Amino acid sequence: MFKDLDPILHSQLRLAIVSLLISVKEAEFTFLREKTNASAGNLSVQLNKLKEAGYVDITKQFKDNYPQTLCKITRKGVSAFEVYVNALRSYISKEE
Amino acid sequence: MAMQEENFSEHDSLRLINEMIGKAKRSYVTKGIASIVWGVLIMACSLLTWAELRFNWYPGFDVWLLVFLALIPQIFFSVKEKKTRKFTGHDEVTARYVWTAFAVAIFLTTFYDTRYGSNESATLFMMLYGIPTFITGGMFNFKPMIVGGVLCWMFSAISVYTPASVDMLLMAASGLFAWLIPGIILWNRYQKQRRANV
Repeated sequence: MFKDLDPILHSQLRLAIVSLLISVKEAEFTFLREKTNASAGNLSVQLNKLKEAGYVDITKQFKDNYPQTLCKITRKGVSAFEVYVNALRSYISKEE
Repeated sequence: MAMQEENFSEHDSLRLINEMIGKAKRSYVTKGIASIVWGVLIMACSLLTWAELRFNWYPGFDVWLLVFLALIPQIFFSVKEKKTRKFTGHDEVTARYVWTAFAVAIFLTTFYDTRYGSNESATLFMMLYGIPTFITGGMFNFKPMIVGGVLCWMFSAISVYTPASVDMLLMAASGLFAWLIPGIILWNRYQKQRRANV
């Protein structure tokens, strides 16, 4: 049924992350954790999968002596998200 | 949110996307402090200048220098806000460029004004006040700022036909409608949201 949908995006947590990142220029790891209610470990694993796919850029730095992880969607990620949403729409319109 | 991978339908996906985009949008809350500070300052400077012109009274310094004093709390609050923010919105970046362009335009108009000693520059200043206010209101779909921007342009047009002292009253009204009132509305919204989150 979903064979044409991008398997990287077709996961609830990864889709939630990408949907949040598409709405902002960049976001901290803590912002994503707060909005998705995911555990730090799970979020970290899913972010790495998105990074490996080239959909997300992750920058680690220090802010006021505390480590900070900044996440940003890439152009490839934006295109993949658009393709995914269009595919969803076509499935739904076929259903109707 | 319980992330269930099973039975994840097309409708669930779309619902999740909408929910997350909505969450991100609602996260953007501004306190409106900068708007309140600038509104009060423009009103105070305009009314003092009006008093100077009307009663031939001089406070001993150029009251518009107070504008530079406002930069101190402005920088303090924006640095503080930036430290606590966990994300940067797309609109914020655009808004930053718009307000920087406004600051440069105000500086150049003041420079021109000082060089040529124009007494009618209130018209130009009010026209400039309207531009970033109107754009910001439109970007964030915030009607009080859209109305404030339009009022600035109306006051600017009226000031063409009024003496310099009345121009100062119109300038004070611009500060009130473009910044002070929208700033107070934003502050109240922020307090309401903070109470709701407790």
